[in-house]
Amino acid sequence: MSTNDNKNLSSTEKIKMTSDGLRGTLKESLRDEITGAIREDDTALVKFHGMYQQDDRDRREERSAKKLEWLYSYMLRLRLPGGFMTAEQYIGLHNIAGDHSTGVIKITTRQTIQLHGILKSHVKPTIQAFNTILLDSISACGDVNRNVVCAAHPKFSPIHEEIFSYAGKISKMGLPKSRGYYEIWLDEKPLLDKKEKEEVEKDPLYQDRYLPRKFKVGIAIPPNNDVDVFTNDLGLIAIIENDKLIGFNIAAGGGLGATHGNAATYPRLASMLGFVRGEENTLKAVLEVITIQRDHGNRSDRKLSRLKYTIDKMGVEAFKEELEKRCGFKLEEPKPYSFTSRKDDYGWHKNHEGKWFYTVFIESGRIADEKVALKTALLEVAKTGKANFRFTSNQGLILSDIAQKDKKAVEQILTDFGIIAHTDNAGAVRKNAIACVAFNTCSLALAEAQRYLPSLITKIEPILAKYGLENEEISMRMTGCPNGCGRPYAAEIGFIGTAYGRYNLHLGGDREGFRLNKKYKENIDEPAILKELDELFEKYSKNRNSGETFGDFAVREKLVTI
Amino acid sequence: MLAEHKLKLLQDLVRSSTKEELVWMNGFLAGVLMNCHDQSALAPTSSAAVASAPATVPAPGAAAVESKPAVSKITIAYGTETGNSKKLATDLAAKAKKSGIQAKVVSLDQYRLNDLAKEEYFFTIISTQGEGEPPATAKKFYDHIHQNGFKLPQIKFGVLALGDTSYPLFCKAGEDVDQQLQRLGGQRLVNLIKCDTDYQGDADGWFSQVLHSLTNTTSSNGTASVGAVVAKKPAGKKVYTGNIITNVNLNDRGSNKATHHIEIVADELDYQPGDSIGIVPENAPAVVDSIIALTRIDGKKSVAFRNETHTVIELLKKKVNIAYLPERVVKQYAAIVKQDIPETKISLLDLLKIYPVSNASQFEEVIGILEPITPRLYSISSSPNAHSGEVHVTVARDNFKVNGEVKHGLCSNFLADLPTDSPLEFYVHKNNQFRLPAEDKDVIMIGPGTGIAPFRSFVAERDAAGASGRNWLFFGDQHFTSDFLYQTEIQNWIQTGVLTKVNVAFSRDQKSKIYVQHKMLENAKAFYEWLQNGAYVYICGAKEPMSVDVENTVLQIIERFGSKTSAQAIEYLNQLKEEGRFLKDVY
Repeated sequence: MSTNDNKNLSSTEKIKMTSDGLRGTLKESLRDEITGAIREDDTALVKFHGMYQQDDRDRREERSAKKLEWLYSYMLRLRLPGGFMTAEQYIGLHNIAGDHSTGVIKITTRQTIQLHGILKSHVKPTIQAFNTILLDSISACGDVNRNVVCAAHPKFSPIHEEIFSYAGKISKMGLPKSRGYYEIWLDEKPLLDKKEKEEVEKDPLYQDRYLPRKFKVGIAIPPNNDVDVFTNDLGLIAIIENDKLIGFNIAAGGGLGATHGNAATYPRLASMLGFVRGEENTLKAVLEVITIQRDHGNRSDRKLSRLKYTIDKMGVEAFKEELEKRCGFKLEEPKPYSFTSRKDDYGWHKNHEGKWFYTVFIESGRIADEKVALKTALLEVAKTGKANFRFTSNQGLILSDIAQKDKKAVEQILTDFGIIAHTDNAGAVRKNAIACVAFNTCSLALAEAQRYLPSLITKIEPILAKYGLENEEISMRMTGCPNGCGRPYAAEIGFIGTAYGRYNLHLGGDREGFRLNKKYKENIDEPAILKELDELFEKYSKNRNSGETFGDFAVREKLVTI
Repeated sequence: MLAEHKLKLLQDLVRSSTKEELVWMNGFLAGVLMNCHDQSALAPTSSAAVASAPATVPAPGAAAVESKPAVSKITIAYGTETGNSKKLATDLAAKAKKSGIQAKVVSLDQYRLNDLAKEEYFFTIISTQGEGEPPATAKKFYDHIHQNGFKLPQIKFGVLALGDTSYPLFCKAGEDVDQQLQRLGGQRLVNLIKCDTDYQGDADGWFSQVLHSLTNTTSSNGTASVGAVVAKKPAGKKVYTGNIITNVNLNDRGSNKATHHIEIVADELDYQPGDSIGIVPENAPAVVDSIIALTRIDGKKSVAFRNETHTVIELLKKKVNIAYLPERVVKQYAAIVKQDIPETKISLLDLLKIYPVSNASQFEEVIGILEPITPRLYSISSSPNAHSGEVHVTVARDNFKVNGEVKHGLCSNFLADLPTDSPLEFYVHKNNQFRLPAEDKDVIMIGPGTGIAPFRSFVAERDAAGASGRNWLFFGDQHFTSDFLYQTEIQNWIQTGVLTKVNVAFSRDQKSKIYVQHKMLENAKAFYEWLQNGAYVYICGAKEPMSVDVENTVLQIIERFGSKTSAQAIEYLNQLKEEGRFLKDVY
């Protein structure tokens, strides 16, 4: 069955196999009064429950001098297929963030939200509070099918609702069968009868080792590619004929993570496999892509275990054959489609039913009361009960499904709190930028991202203005490490952290998500970044063709070789 | 019998003295005579003087053996804070018993005040706290005997006062009790003796006098006098000059507290786990400058203060208490400046601002009435074996509000602000009532807040010594993330196994307050098992409410897991106390 044997299994594989359904020693870890951390093996397992153990890296040295351990806390991410939340759920989220976390609600690049700084003693109360508003964090992290993203804006298709429902279905299909989450966090009575437990928890999809690595599924509705569909392990592109959803083009093997100095690692866009017709076949194909990765993925080196490496190892054709064999049907030729945009459409829009949608600009996806009282404003909107909340893969938020009669009330709140002005006044680059969390909580971060990019953009904006480029929607993305959470490899300008204050500068991505960028300069600091951009923008403003994006220009001018 | 010049001196002295002074001198001389174990300690005497010396002056120590007891029953009442008075009371009782005298030993808080009227032979051993107050356990008794309207003509008494010469009001509570018992009509059998922290020798001397007086009651009649003898000058107290090598606030940002871990190096350190160090804090230079500016006194001028001469600056900075003047000093101040000042505790600077002195020389007069700075004691948190050449203390910066204004405690503030590499004078204050047991015994330590200090010393010591007994620590404070004192050290001790168990309670991390006693209850079964297994229980930290709550919780645990009635549980705990297995260092 598996081309992978049990030799040289990574330590994480062993932890998973002996975890008793992802339970590990989490209960004991929670009971340990003298540390805010959990046991080392449990740090791998807690991810499957939607959490990362982190610590405030800014505070390590000072706390050590005080004979205090590192300031451990947990980042908790919700499973939120398609990024949808009711107003009532949003109010709950707002309160939970205040009661148990730093208070900042962070919208992720995968259309969900995460809370930071939750102390160990607060984790259970947090998860229990989310449970009361029917939200959970199962599989939000870990070697499983992660949060399923879906084109966010219902205005793009009258059958958005139908396509959106696939996010929920795929998410449900990819849930582990273990009751561990319910036992550990929600005090569900453990299944004491061994046979009963085996029956309930029998997991044909994940078995006892789960997947070799995280697995991401995205669903795009052309012509918008806001989900960056080709960056997913598995991308589904909705094909609509005569206003009916007939199926999906299916692409596999996307993934952006790489490791500095490890040539065997690379970012990759998904390869188009073909077209699948109808719901049953679509879900079957999704499932079998996952099982192939489960059986063929690399389980000894976690740096080489994403589906993209499995596909490149097998070859795309062989992979497709294996998929067809497992599905029991052939894939059709991919259907024609086109993407014209990848960005969020800020401001007011009306859909085919006459409902209104307002897309709010939220810098780096951080909902807080900072430059404007965004957090308070959104709570006020939620309290009216007149809008749903839809998060986007661009770290944005759409206040949605607002009836014509309610639009004024929502607009009034947004105006009163300065949200509309804030959205309208933000520059084109800023509005389309993405930054990951990085310092101070992400343990992988080598450099700043969300704490730094806004101020860097403030310095870049005058340069753009100098060359009359201030209205160009150049996509600019920054991550604090090469793992790619902020999808910097798929940007026109990508900054990838190498060391504190230093970044690799990537150029040449396109604006719709079909082409990755390439490294242009290595390990440069802010003055060098600004100097490079000044030169590049000058060239671009002088030599670009009409309508040519900065990314396309960089490729045509051979600034980088794609 | 006196040489003429001596006689003249005496006559002059007697003529110029008040009646009270004469009474005092009478007592003083009696004390000198009784206290002189060796005749040669006195000036050489003429043969006439020897002949007229009272024949009753005993050779102490021999008395009890030689004489038959004339008294069969006595009461020994003690007022104790740290257990020293209690220990001495028990010692005296044992000695009395050997001499055939039956002695009832009772703590003053247990003593029925109505029984005073029936007492015939009543001995009090009492310590003095901070500003001259009696220990809390003796407060009721102390207040009672200070009331008017009753007499105790039948009582024959003696008082042994424990204290610390580092404090200005040395042995004040003992003095008061001694004087009051006489005022109430009592007959003083033996003179008051005031003991310093190294009390054993003086206490033994007093014991001998007591036993002698009991075996020779007739001859002691008429020797009763007022007055006291300071047994010894605190010459034996070694003052170290250390150097601060570390001073770090253990509480993290955002904490309501500031608890400083201070490491001091000093030569020839001699202390044991359980001891404290005494520190005389210095006044804040800014306050001293303000006082000098306000009074226009020449800071460099030398002035006399209690037999020493210092410059004004030095006095104000290092010698006299200017932080919160007690009411008695405020009263004297009012007399000097001739103004009406309400009786209140107030700082000298505020006093000078509100009720100014007329000139610099009036301020000099004010300096004369000030009292020396009281030393503060801090439990040592280091171990002589684990932290060789160093002594560590754990000092909470004391914040309190006066008229809504936040103020800092003088000494804690002084220490918290000391930069590294500054010198610091201190002395070691022994606490023999708070010692580790034999190395194979189990230890339960309950020390929330700065109560952790001696237990860090205990655990480090047991670690260094490789003691085989088990160690269980209870710690508590407000917040886990910011107030877990010595967290990483405790984690290491758990990892290496020196600490067998640790339970922590953080009161403000959840809606309902959780304290150490709740953690004890959570682990009640094991707690009782440890007790049954011979464990020693130590409590350090706030006396109220912590130590009271903890003690009640221990009773509860004994009751529940020992299947005992509440009376039996109390008896069980009393047994522990008697065995020295339930020890407190609380403040």
